[in-house]
Amino acid sequence: MLLLALVVLWRRHVTAYITAFRTQSIVLAFVGATVAWYGRVPELFLVAVMVLVLKGWIVPRVLSGIETRRQGARELHPLLNTETSLLISGALAVAAYEVSRPLAEVMSLATRGGLPVALALIFVSLFIVVSRREAIAQIVGFLMLENGIALLALLGAYGVPLVVELGVFMDVLLGVLVMQAVVYHIYDTTAD
Amino acid sequence: MRAILFIAGQTLLLAVLAPAVIGYVRFVKARLQGRRGAGVCQPYRELRKTFGKGMVIAESASWIFRAAPFAVIGATIAAASLVPVVSASQPADRAGDLFVLAALLMLGTFFLALGGLDPGTAFGGMGSSREMTVAALTEPTLAIAVLTLALTTGSTSLGVIAGSVLGTPAYAVGPGHALAFAAFLIAMIAETGRLPVDNPSTHLELTMIHEAMILEYSGPYLALIEWAAGIRLTLLMTLAANLFVPWGMATSLAAPAVAAGLVAILVKLGVLGLFLAVLETRVAKLRLFRVPELLALSFTLALLAAASSFFTR
Repeated sequence: MLLLALVVLWRRHVTAYITAFRTQSIVLAFVGATVAWYGRVPELFLVAVMVLVLKGWIVPRVLSGIETRRQGARELHPLLNTETSLLISGALAVAAYEVSRPLAEVMSLATRGGLPVALALIFVSLFIVVSRREAIAQIVGFLMLENGIALLALLGAYGVPLVVELGVFMDVLLGVLVMQAVVYHIYDTTAD
Repeated sequence: MRAILFIAGQTLLLAVLAPAVIGYVRFVKARLQGRRGAGVCQPYRELRKTFGKGMVIAESASWIFRAAPFAVIGATIAAASLVPVVSASQPADRAGDLFVLAALLMLGTFFLALGGLDPGTAFGGMGSSREMTVAALTEPTLAIAVLTLALTTGSTSLGVIAGSVLGTPAYAVGPGHALAFAAFLIAMIAETGRLPVDNPSTHLELTMIHEAMILEYSGPYLALIEWAAGIRLTLLMTLAANLFVPWGMATSLAAPAVAAGLVAILVKLGVLGLFLAVLETRVAKLRLFRVPELLALSFTLALLAAASSFFTR
């Protein structure tokens, strides 16, 4: 999943961003299903299915709709160039590994090896949000941040209670629908 | 004494095999493109022909121009002597480890770049500057990708790394393994000037990286440099095969095990060469300003691999 976030830092076209996000959500659904199976937490199956439907299908469709309504498939021009972005994300991943080391020692769940990856994904997604100029790229970064937090919850605590998950999903869906309306008006955050 | 003979034999094997590897990749590429291909032994004939030709040296060339081919071939052969080809318990481990290998490869690149700059031609300078840009990102990637394995096996000697991955695969092969392998492959492609970084068969100077540096060379100097490029490719392919997929290597210096290791490395070189040829046929050459992006990606992959294997020991 972290590799898919790196794809966002590497490629320049919005369709690549949306595909990376969709693949990441599908992988998240698989991780959720695996945790549900091995951790014997049946609610997570429902969570996995909802992730698959909502983030793997509905949200990418909405994002593609935003993109096609905007005329012209322009390249994206992030604030930092690609090489620096990739190097910074590598440094962030190493920082995430270092930060989560004491946490992984305290945890007793079997998935603690994946904690650094989830934390690294959160850091890298934040970096994506911060270093992009276009609104749609920032949205994709924010959604990847949501994926990262969901992954952290899955790996760290075998998922949060179902009510919390449902609330988060509704927030994500409403947020994306609102952003769909807003993005049409503010395409990028620099005035030119 | 036996150790010295073994090291010399292994180095000679790599040096002799190098033109065959180049010829094999070219042949497969030709067949994939629907051409007949020149045969796997064609580079040997080319080398023999080039060694026999006369040399024309520019008047503005200094001693660096004349010394560079020898420096390049010397550094590359020295690097080739450190690579575990047939056996994991090789005596060359006492001579140098992965850092020495990376330094020797860099020494070769350095002198090649100097030799390209020396005559003062425009294309040579262009090739040298491009080569330095690429090398600045590939050398650390190669080192860190192999360091990933070194971290899990606890040693930086190449033979010991290969032997550890061979002996305890469940411990040594982790998620970092695949990432490091991918990073190593991308860096290898960039380091040896294959597509998508550099087209080895181009005749357009503006698209060259490695060939632009050697445009001024002719005769035996050119043959030495081309041979060194082939040895570099062969040794990096052998490293990729034997460090990341070491099954088939011998773990001692006994004759039957070494013979089996020889067959294994030939098979692995064949598979890797096939992969290279298919990749070269499928992808187009990257635009030059995209090359640092690809290399930064491979460096980040190597960094991630090293972090994951360091922190999850």
